[in-house]
Amino acid sequence: MSEADMAIIKPEMMMKSYIWLETTDGSIQQVEQEIAMYCPMICHEVLQKGLGAGSSKNCAISLPQRVNPAMLSLILDYCRFHQVPGRSNKERKVHDEKFIRMDTKRLCELASAADSLQLKPLVDLSSRALARIIEGKTPEEIREIFHLPDDLTEEEKLEPLKNLMDDPRIRLLNRLYAKKRKELKEREKLKGKEVEERVDERSVDDLLSFINGKDHKVVKTSKSKKKNKKRKEHKNKVSHNLHSKQQGVQIVDETAASLGGVSNLPSMEEDIFSLKTDSEDGYVDDGMDPVLKEMLDREVEDFARRLNSSWVLSSGQERQPVHFSINGNGATRRLTAFQVMLGSLILLMVFGWQVPEFCGVTVKGNSRVRISGLTGTEGGDEWFDLSYIILDEASDPPKYDNVPADREDLVRDVLSSTLLFPFELQLCISELELL
Amino acid sequence: MGESPDLISDLPQSILENILTHLSIRDAIRTSLLSTKWRYKWSTLTDLAFDEKCVSPSTDRALVETNLVRFITGVLLLHQGPIHKFHLSTSFLQCRPDIDQWLLFLSRNGIKELVLELGEGEFRVPSCLFQCLKLTRLELCHCEFDPPKSFNGFSSLKSLTLHQILVSPEAIESLISGCPLLEFLSLSYFDSLVLSISAPNLMYLYLDGEFKDIFLENTPKLVAISVSMYMHEDVADFEQSSDYNLVKFLGGVPLLEKLVGYIYFTKYLSVGDDPGRLPITYIHLKTIELYQVSFEDANEASPIQLFPLEEESFDLFERDYFEYKLPRLETVRMTDVSGIRNELEFIRFLMGTSPVLETVIVTSSLSDKDARMEMVVELLRFPRVSPRAQLLFLQD
Repeated sequence: MSEADMAIIKPEMMMKSYIWLETTDGSIQQVEQEIAMYCPMICHEVLQKGLGAGSSKNCAISLPQRVNPAMLSLILDYCRFHQVPGRSNKERKVHDEKFIRMDTKRLCELASAADSLQLKPLVDLSSRALARIIEGKTPEEIREIFHLPDDLTEEEKLEPLKNLMDDPRIRLLNRLYAKKRKELKEREKLKGKEVEERVDERSVDDLLSFINGKDHKVVKTSKSKKKNKKRKEHKNKVSHNLHSKQQGVQIVDETAASLGGVSNLPSMEEDIFSLKTDSEDGYVDDGMDPVLKEMLDREVEDFARRLNSSWVLSSGQERQPVHFSINGNGATRRLTAFQVMLGSLILLMVFGWQVPEFCGVTVKGNSRVRISGLTGTEGGDEWFDLSYIILDEASDPPKYDNVPADREDLVRDVLSSTLLFPFELQLCISELELL
Repeated sequence: MGESPDLISDLPQSILENILTHLSIRDAIRTSLLSTKWRYKWSTLTDLAFDEKCVSPSTDRALVETNLVRFITGVLLLHQGPIHKFHLSTSFLQCRPDIDQWLLFLSRNGIKELVLELGEGEFRVPSCLFQCLKLTRLELCHCEFDPPKSFNGFSSLKSLTLHQILVSPEAIESLISGCPLLEFLSLSYFDSLVLSISAPNLMYLYLDGEFKDIFLENTPKLVAISVSMYMHEDVADFEQSSDYNLVKFLGGVPLLEKLVGYIYFTKYLSVGDDPGRLPITYIHLKTIELYQVSFEDANEASPIQLFPLEEESFDLFERDYFEYKLPRLETVRMTDVSGIRNELEFIRFLMGTSPVLETVIVTSSLSDKDARMEMVVELLRFPRVSPRAQLLFLQD
């Protein structure tokens, strides 16, 4: 059928034969036959409907909805070039590269229109161009380019990455959190809430350095030469009455050791705080083998127990505000593998007691830091995984579009926006999402 | 409202999948962060390709290995629908039980193309692989391959590549004969392989390694052969066989268009007693490429007289034919030519029997300028049947 028809069509026309095409907006145009027939969909239409199709204005071939006149002319340009048989592959490639340079909106429309006309080479070309646009960009950037709504919850965003690029330390800590959360809930039911304001004056760096100082002796790492250097920097900042904290810090150290295995915690915090993008520096070596895992599990249990006991013992009524000096860096940054990896934990302990209220911070913009506040109460240890709780329960957590240079302020703001201050605070930055 | 409409999420699924296949698997998964519509768009991709770039680089091999395993397992668990292509190409994974589990998962999800390039180790291919009967392409590297007795071959397999695989020759033979649709076969890095290939649809054959004896028993459709053979130094082994290797190897390939040989190729072919006439001619042969093929062994005692030296009769393949022609031969390429007689005779033969010959590329290994000049002069002397023939002389 087709060949006979074609044979009849051609000799009848003395000059170039034309086909009439109609787009959904009603406009009709005339196109050379061989160009139009390069599109499989038009070709099928002509062959299926017989001779009359498209041969005059009245019986123009109606094109699918997704082909608007602008796209149609683009597509016809493409066909006009490619339907000439004598072109070399190189020529075609060069033409295609130039052809495909257009803004994203038109690219999407072009892909859509080409698909409805079943012009596979053009669909592939535009898909590849769109893939090149998406490749290597942060989700924020991609959303902006394509005007995608940012309608996933934090949890949902974490899901695939968490599954695929999880860090065993996070899991450990989450397990601990879950346990503590349960205990806290029970305690809440029994005790009721206490409101107290305790603020720890010490800066995060001080605490870090203190821990680092201890860590230096406790932790034996084979690969921490670089990190030792960093720890030394912090050492100078040690100050404060640490006596009452000895025990607690010790526990932290041991936890750090246990949770770290070959612990990189101090350097982890460092990296978080300074938002370094140097993946090598900050990369977590965990060398987890089953034996180590078991050991860690046991340590976690021990730690939990010790926390309970230590907090019971410590009678510290000290009220000191907590300063977190975090060096923020709000510059736009491309996502590195490390940054995506959930690999940073920091444990700091501040003694005292507090209330089962916690703070969380979500900072929008170029970096997101989720700070889980863990608060312990008298005789207890409450650990909360903020990523799941905080966003609902925090009273109006402030949101920032840029990370403030002094993140201390940021955290203070957040803390002040909650009803209660953690006196004994276990600070855990459970994910560093630099998106 | 002022909100711009979503440009891309409403494109048809086929286009979005097309876009996602052009991204690396990591980028594709990260699109799940974009918006609710994009959350699971990547999970129906049918082609998955993994390598160590999927996880963060690190100097600690064990860590990269762990992360990669976790990544792949995670992807497979989150994936929905059939998986048609699975490529795993990394030296970081050698022998892990996780790979067995992935293969089991794939075998239940309609795998069609499987490429496993692992690091040096002894990964033993699990039995579930032999139940993937929809396989059209299989590529294994550094594995141990031991099909069960009940295995009858992959009835849809079109392409088979085995590189440094620990397998018994009988297993390979039965595998090849059990894959009737096989079109592409590549066997490389084997030790002392004795093989008889029977593959009625085979079109491309690539052999690389130490082969003791290859017999192309039934390969009528073979179009291209590339052979890189290494032989033991003791030729005595070979002299015992009475079949002429040339016949065994090139005797049954009438449709041959491209012949590529490396190193000991001609030496291998010349082993055995010459029976005289060859049953076929090579009317489709278009390209001959011989790399570092040594024609040196002009020793009378060893049967290396592949290309006879008689002046008038260019009967390379057919002793009794004087009007031998290679009607389609267009390209000849020889490297490491050192100007010895056999080589030059061979080139003369080709130039004298190929009416459409276009290019003869000769690369010399001679360092001495005079010797090279002599060779060039010789080559230029040869009569050419083809008016368009060009002799290109390149230096190493």
